[in-house]
Amino acid sequence: MPELLRPGSIDEAADLIARHGAAASVLAGGTSLMRETYPSDGGYLIGVDRLGLDKVVSHDGGWSVGAAVPLSVLREAVPIAALQAATREIGGPAVQNMATVGGNLFARAPFGDLAPALLALGARLVFATAGGETTQSIEDFYAGWADGAPPRAGLLTRIEIDAPTGASAYMKCARRRYSTPSVVTVAACVEKDGGTVSGARIALSGASAHPFRCAGAERAVIGSGLDEAAVTAAAAAAESAVEPQTDSVASEWYRRRMTGVFVRRVLAALA
Amino acid sequence: MSMKELGVVGRNVGQRDLESHARGQTTYYEDVHYPRMLHLKMHRSAEPHANIVKVDTRKAAASPGVVCVLTHEDLPGKKVWNGLAAVGVGPEDEPVLAFDKVRWRGEPIVAVIAETPEAARAGAAKVEVEYDPLPGVFDVEEAISGSAPALTAHWPHNHYIYPDDHAASQIRFGDVEKGFAEADHIVEDKYQTSPIEQAPMETNGCIAKPGGDGRITVHTNTQAVHFARDNTAAILGLAPGKLRFLGGTVGGGFGGKVDVAVEPISVLAAMRTGRPVKFKYTREEEMQVSSTRSAWRLYIKDGVMNDGRIVARKITSYQDSGAYLRFSSYGSMKHAGHMPGPYTMPNVWVDARVVFTNRPPSSAMRGFGVMAASFAIELQMDKVAKTIGMDPWQLRLLNAYRNGDMRAHRKVNEDAAMVETIQAAARLAGHELPAEYQAMTSWDRKAS
Amino acid sequence: MEDKLIRLTVNGRDEAVVIRPLATLQDVLRDTLELTAVKSGCGQGGCGSCSVLVDGELRLSCLTLAERAEGAEVTTLEGLNETNAIVPLQQAFVENYAAQCGYCTAGMVVAAKALLDRNPAPSRDEIVEGLSGNLCRCTGFAPIVRAVQQAAQALSDTGEEAS
Ligand SMILES: Cc1cc2nc3c(=O)[nH]c(=O)nc-3n(C[C@H](O)[C@H](O)[C@H](O)COP(=O)(O)OP(=O)(O)OC[C@H]3O[C@@H](n4cnc5c(N)ncnc54)[C@H](O)[C@@H]3O)c2cc1C
Ligand code: FES
Ligand code: FES
Repeated sequence: MPELLRPGSIDEAADLIARHGAAASVLAGGTSLMRETYPSDGGYLIGVDRLGLDKVVSHDGGWSVGAAVPLSVLREAVPIAALQAATREIGGPAVQNMATVGGNLFARAPFGDLAPALLALGARLVFATAGGETTQSIEDFYAGWADGAPPRAGLLTRIEIDAPTGASAYMKCARRRYSTPSVVTVAACVEKDGGTVSGARIALSGASAHPFRCAGAERAVIGSGLDEAAVTAAAAAAESAVEPQTDSVASEWYRRRMTGVFVRRVLAALA
Repeated sequence: MSMKELGVVGRNVGQRDLESHARGQTTYYEDVHYPRMLHLKMHRSAEPHANIVKVDTRKAAASPGVVCVLTHEDLPGKKVWNGLAAVGVGPEDEPVLAFDKVRWRGEPIVAVIAETPEAARAGAAKVEVEYDPLPGVFDVEEAISGSAPALTAHWPHNHYIYPDDHAASQIRFGDVEKGFAEADHIVEDKYQTSPIEQAPMETNGCIAKPGGDGRITVHTNTQAVHFARDNTAAILGLAPGKLRFLGGTVGGGFGGKVDVAVEPISVLAAMRTGRPVKFKYTREEEMQVSSTRSAWRLYIKDGVMNDGRIVARKITSYQDSGAYLRFSSYGSMKHAGHMPGPYTMPNVWVDARVVFTNRPPSSAMRGFGVMAASFAIELQMDKVAKTIGMDPWQLRLLNAYRNGDMRAHRKVNEDAAMVETIQAAARLAGHELPAEYQAMTSWDRKAS
Repeated sequence: MEDKLIRLTVNGRDEAVVIRPLATLQDVLRDTLELTAVKSGCGQGGCGSCSVLVDGELRLSCLTLAERAEGAEVTTLEGLNETNAIVPLQQAFVENYAAQCGYCTAGMVVAAKALLDRNPAPSRDEIVEGLSGNLCRCTGFAPIVRAVQQAAQALSDTGEEAS
């Protein structure tokens, strides 16, 4: 069984993570980590509950969200449509009270339903490492994943979200209405200049090894009026960009089909 | 009888334990607490079909917190069993703990008993089993094709043989070949159901507690307390009076809590250690190793007249029993007995076989044997309707059994309500039926 | 790694309990305090049968480390019956036949209480969402949703608390 350590400062936590390397796991809400069993001895769980990472600070340009903020708190604190929708789509109310924003960003497919919203909003992730603080765009963070697993990035301390300059939408395709794993999850944030799309971020989760921004779908809608042809092209681009797995939730075929359908629906909601 | 005289029909009848449930006061098996209780964890087969070359329990026994390790050598009574052996169904084919061979992935091999659930799990993970893998068979028709390996010596052809030497539950009624020859249409298809886990919210489990009087008290969530006690006694070679089974409060069963898979080994562990022993399936075990509803494959061939009468129905079906018999021969009889569905036909032929494969043993679930039959038959009815261009409601009403009809298994039908049920369903679904179909009743066939 | 002594308030009573390393709140409630309305259908967050309130918020006790509940106020289903009288929410479950085997019921009632405490007049969809982390394999969800609707109605009729 691993040992639970509960450091009292971010520096102390970063040191522990650096010192114990692969033997250390950060424990946030525990809704993923606590499900794992510990057949072998050893290892450390580094609790984040005493680090003061459970606050949302709102400032002029946006929000600074502590990594240990529970999803239900995020929903109350940050009034962005895509983000609020996402927090309702992750587990049931109990999970939403426990699971943290940070923890969800490390979830393995088909979980990871918050990430598309944060990708669409262009969020930045701030990590504490033994060498100091580093900031990374959320895309770069996912680009560093290998074999569906996150890199050892140190301690995620906060997520920086700028006030959106466009409209956002979020939809999750799943087998039941609530508390259910994703077939595919789609979020988009679209800026318009008159009737023309001047900027777009379209992100997906559930249907690939990790959440990602779909450049092909974004190209298809930028410069368009989100007309039928552009939306169809974006859906097709997303279908070819995903790399779905067959699992007990859905087949590869179904995930791919629903990717197109849900990209279409999300863009329709923003048209 | 007027409605006034009915005591129960048409009224709400209180459910005795509802208030206790709503207050959280119902006592399930694991809600009793004993000091010094041990926990049992099973080391299970990693192979679907293999000879066991060697079982090494030394590392498990030396694992921290482990108190006792049990293999087939520790079984004082039977090494193989079947739950219905006492009523003449058999043979006893299923090892209590696997010894020479494993026949499905998840088959229990070694029980590890420790101070905590974590220590038991860690200990069980340290059991080392050396396998000599054998080819497996996972398809019912492949299993009986003659080219598949025989799972046990009991069934050289991998299918069950009833005590009267029949290879199948059979129905022979009229002459189906003659019926096919006279029919305007032949409609045939193949149907397959999947194994379904009962998935009760409370997983299988029990607590066995040795008492000062030499008896063992077993708190269990089995659906069949007496059946579980008698089988536990028989397996361990104990007088049933040595065992005091307390149960009846079941956190969902649906047929999934009659395996008697936890009680015998827990009682043995309690006898060996002199301490209370708890054996609770994890959710994974419940989903992966507790028995499921059997999967069935059915072939149905119908002879149908232009006016919709089905004049012959021939059914060959294969029940996937998994590696061992359990209650499959009983399920197969219920399956055959349901044929040809709630319809009257002059010619019916059924062969329902129980087949052994290297899948987890299957067992009962709500409507044992019947659900797969109904599933296939009702899909077939729709196919027949489509083939002859008839409304599927009308097709069913036309063929529905009536009071006084002779059923294929030679019982005269009583208390039929099929016609009225379809009519009521049609009303609810807003499906218009012609006057003559609305006028049909279970008491006559005049309208047809 | 050593056993630890923690203090917490459970159903209004101050408790001091010794916990094993990595013991869950579920272990403490069920095994140490013998509050067996807290069930354990999966031990991994999937069924909701272990639902409790921690500082008034719905949580899954199987995924909560006991150590992290130190100092918290925990409410289990047993905590609803301070005076031993059945509360309206429980009564609504009885009247609507909202339980069969009863294994899910404690978690359902606690989740319903968490919902009604926050939102005394939920829509049907809000009830479905509020109970979405709790599974029932016997009853079907319709009578359970009806029970919560009835409890909410009773609450607005009398102006009392549901539970
Ligand atoms: C019943 C149930 C339903 C679920 N449904 C969904 C769903 O619908 N959609 C979905 O996306 N997920 C779902 N999940 C999965 C998961 O629990 C969530 O993704 C959750 O957000 C994880 O957050 P946590 O705080 O509980 O993480 P933890 O379990 O504490 O940690 C998860 C991982 O993140 C790492 N981590 C956590 N915080 C940090 C940090 N600050 N810095 C570095 N690493 C960190 C941990 O080391 C660990 O590897 C569900 C889980 C359950 C139990
Ligand atoms: S036991 Fe906690 S959710 Fe199932
Ligand atoms: S009443 Fe049995 S699980 Fe809900």
